[in-house]
Amino acid sequence: MKNWHKILLGLFILGIVGATLGYVFIYNKPHRDYEKAKADFSKTAEAFFEEYKNDKDQAQQTYNGKVLEVTGKLTHVETADSLTIAVFALAEGLFGDEGIRCAMLPNHAQKVKDLEGRAIVLKGYCTGYNDTDVIMEKCSVVTMK
Amino acid sequence: MKNILLISGLLFFATSMFAQKYITKTGHIMFYSDTPLETIEAHNHQVNSVLDVETGDFVFKVLIKSFEFEKALMQEHFNENFVESDKYPNSTFKGKIVNIADMDLTQPGEYEVVVEGDLTLHGETQKVRTKGTMKSSGDKIEGNSKFMAKPEDYKIKIPSTVVNKIADEIEVTVEITLEKYK
Repeated sequence: MKNWHKILLGLFILGIVGATLGYVFIYNKPHRDYEKAKADFSKTAEAFFEEYKNDKDQAQQTYNGKVLEVTGKLTHVETADSLTIAVFALAEGLFGDEGIRCAMLPNHAQKVKDLEGRAIVLKGYCTGYNDTDVIMEKCSVVTMK
Repeated sequence: MKNILLISGLLFFATSMFAQKYITKTGHIMFYSDTPLETIEAHNHQVNSVLDVETGDFVFKVLIKSFEFEKALMQEHFNENFVESDKYPNSTFKGKIVNIADMDLTQPGEYEVVVEGDLTLHGETQKVRTKGTMKSSGDKIEGNSKFMAKPEDYKIKIPSTVVNKIADEIEVTVEITLEKYK
């Protein structure tokens, strides 16, 4: 085998290994683990809700896409199909309660159902405000008070 | 001026009192793109919707960041490069069931509906017209519909590196269970 053949073969193998690693680690990179993620902001449910309600643009820029830690009284828990939603109801709107709605991670769904009416701390990924509620996804129970 | 405000306020209050509304905060919207190279689907389970069964007025409010993809990378591309969800966090549909006069959705039964309205996505508004079914049990209405949307109509630019992986037309599926608002 000539030297340049070896180099070409080496480059070829390197290319294949690189592409495979790229595929595995970048294309297939896992979703962020929101249960372990550190919160970007930590406040009471009332404080987050009021900020969104009073200055939506500012709050959207600050909190959308961030991990929030919310402290408050868990008003109730709703279930819809496989979804469990923890609700901090904070105001009365045209169509019922308004507040913060948190879709729970499956492994925290049962935990939160047992905490209705209690003061708790929830953490999750904030996706924004739809003019009635602040919406959070991938939520987990941090502590109960 | 004060009187006008008061009267219009009262009128608004009165009409909203009498008109029967059905609502949900856990509607499901899914979109699906299929090409030989890649099948992509995304789900949003926290969709807000209000339907007025008398006038047929129908509103949807969707948070873009609530769409969940199977692959984290796709979700990232979708939010950052395609729909720019930091700049345009919300999507709305404001429309009507145009054949509402032919049905009474408060009565149990299955109804074929035609929905028409304005869909705003990525800061662009386009007319959408689609058919769907509504199954009412009186207190609850289950609605289902599917329609096609073209990313280019909403000025969503698909980079040339992934253009073959994303369909020209995206299938949007809507599944909602509206409950009578008391």
